[in-house]
Amino acid sequence: MSDIFFELSVRSVRLNFLRSLLASIGIVIGVVAISSMGMLGTNMQLSVKDQLSSNVNTVILTSDVVKVSTLPGVAAVNGIDASTLNDIKSSAGQNTVIPIHHGSTQFSVGSNNGRGSIYGLDPTDIQKFLTVDEGNSIKGGSDALVGPTIANNFNLDIGSTLKIGQPNVSVVRPVVRVAGILTSRGITSDNVNTDNAIVVSDQWYTDHFDDKDVYDQVNVILQNVDTINQTEAAIDKKVNRNNQIVRITDASSRLSSITSTLGTITTFIMAIGGISLVVAAVSIFNVMMMSVKERVQEIGILLSIGTEKGEVRRMFLYEALILGLIGAIVGGIMSFLIGYTVVQAMIGSTSYFFRPESLIFIPYGMIIGVVVCVLSGLYPAWMASNMDPIDALRSE
Amino acid sequence: MSDQSLIQLVDVSKIYHLESGDFIALNHVSIVIGENEFVAIMGPSGSGKSTMMNQLGILDVPTTGELLIDNRDVAKMSNLERTHLRRDSIGYIFQKFYLIPLLSAYENVEYPLILKYKKRDTTGRARAMLDAVGIDHDMSAHRPNQLSGGQQQRVAIARALVNDPKILLCDEPTGNLDRKTGLAIMDILCDLHQKGKTVIIVTHDPKIAEYAHRTISLEDGKVVES
Repeated sequence: MSDIFFELSVRSVRLNFLRSLLASIGIVIGVVAISSMGMLGTNMQLSVKDQLSSNVNTVILTSDVVKVSTLPGVAAVNGIDASTLNDIKSSAGQNTVIPIHHGSTQFSVGSNNGRGSIYGLDPTDIQKFLTVDEGNSIKGGSDALVGPTIANNFNLDIGSTLKIGQPNVSVVRPVVRVAGILTSRGITSDNVNTDNAIVVSDQWYTDHFDDKDVYDQVNVILQNVDTINQTEAAIDKKVNRNNQIVRITDASSRLSSITSTLGTITTFIMAIGGISLVVAAVSIFNVMMMSVKERVQEIGILLSIGTEKGEVRRMFLYEALILGLIGAIVGGIMSFLIGYTVVQAMIGSTSYFFRPESLIFIPYGMIIGVVVCVLSGLYPAWMASNMDPIDALRSE
Repeated sequence: MSDQSLIQLVDVSKIYHLESGDFIALNHVSIVIGENEFVAIMGPSGSGKSTMMNQLGILDVPTTGELLIDNRDVAKMSNLERTHLRRDSIGYIFQKFYLIPLLSAYENVEYPLILKYKKRDTTGRARAMLDAVGIDHDMSAHRPNQLSGGQQQRVAIARALVNDPKILLCDEPTGNLDRKTGLAIMDILCDLHQKGKTVIIVTHDPKIAEYAHRTISLEDGKVVES
């Protein structure tokens, strides 16, 4: 059955095609803004989450106190000492404990200078969580592994040498030899970011950076990720029994805090997109008011020959609904195209784009667009249905 | 005249509250219109004709007094009941035709049926009504603005009749038509009266009023002759 009131609304929209079209474009923009922003945010969350969750079984221990050095000229030390490390090892059970030296250094390759992180690790620990892409892992001495970013930027190959430390003519700087190049790790959640780093043996590190038996970080890699809470509790009980000595964090808490931050950002940018829908709502309201004002006499005719108020209301709500549906459908299609392009441009990968939690923003945006339209039509429809038929008929 | 009363106005007054003071459009008017009557309501402009028309058409309710249609008090009805009474019992014919501009002639006639039965007409009644007033197939596909005044008024009559109302309420039905077309329209109305409709014509034209069997004259909101 075709509804005569729907038919009337369709004809009214067609009669004022340009005006209706312009009002719908407002909705299109609003829908696109909300959907593509939502998709962008979600894709960002998904991609970060996937990168981080690979190290989700790692507990990160860092020092919570600053030890002030008594030696002049030596910087204050912030680290986990040997006895604390022993406590950690004894309380970590079967899990793998990896003490890590970490600093930042300048270096030179030939005449090019650079800056990056430097990690000192026990050579036997390296293979437990790092992957060598090219060449071999280190055994000690002046062997080093470099991250792919450094390797690329400085054209490093196996056997290349780097001078570590600040370029200074009066000091002879120690030299390391590239034994291998690491696989890219991206953003990591175990707080070991090796892409722009040099990894050397702990022996070499303490020889040159004076951090003997003081570790910047200790990672505990769990055999079973489900035991993360017990392990953390055991370490906390043992190590922090008197004072808060180490701060215990893990990838899952970092992950959830990062994703919740990204979620907040997503909501925020969607709200900015929502502003355009508010503007669209005003223009729909305006078009609906114009439609009502132009059709006062027609409304008078409808009411006087026995049309119910509800039917008149329905006619105008249909009109708003049609504008909303046009806007939402066009907006939905464009959201898909624009969203895909934006995600591709900003994240560099669309592998998460087709996930339900990403695509769901298209119907969300469309529904919000239609609802906004119908809400904007409520008052004009109400006004039309409550006209006095005599006054309405008399108007020209 | 039938002795069964269809419309009864009992001491009806209509007062408009204006900034310049109260305006009494109808002043204690009492009339009775029986079934199958042909009544003309006459009077100069400002005499209360339109107000009377609005009362009879249940577009408005009296300020005081009672308006009974089929012995039902209009003032005591809900808005929806009045709407349904307008839809089912009264056919309106206006001077300016007042067809719905977005609907074709056929759809205009079909419209009251849709209001009543909540579905499109499949009985052929709308088509039959158009045939009866001389609007053919081709013409009925046109929008009102593509029809002449006479054709529009015929469509309006067909629309007024399609729900088989007891009362035909005509407000200057020939006012916007040339003499010849006007006469043709009046012939249709006479014919409808013959077929049992109660026809009420509001007019200021004595020639039109001559068709009626009874004339009610209004002056300053009062009935001066009935």
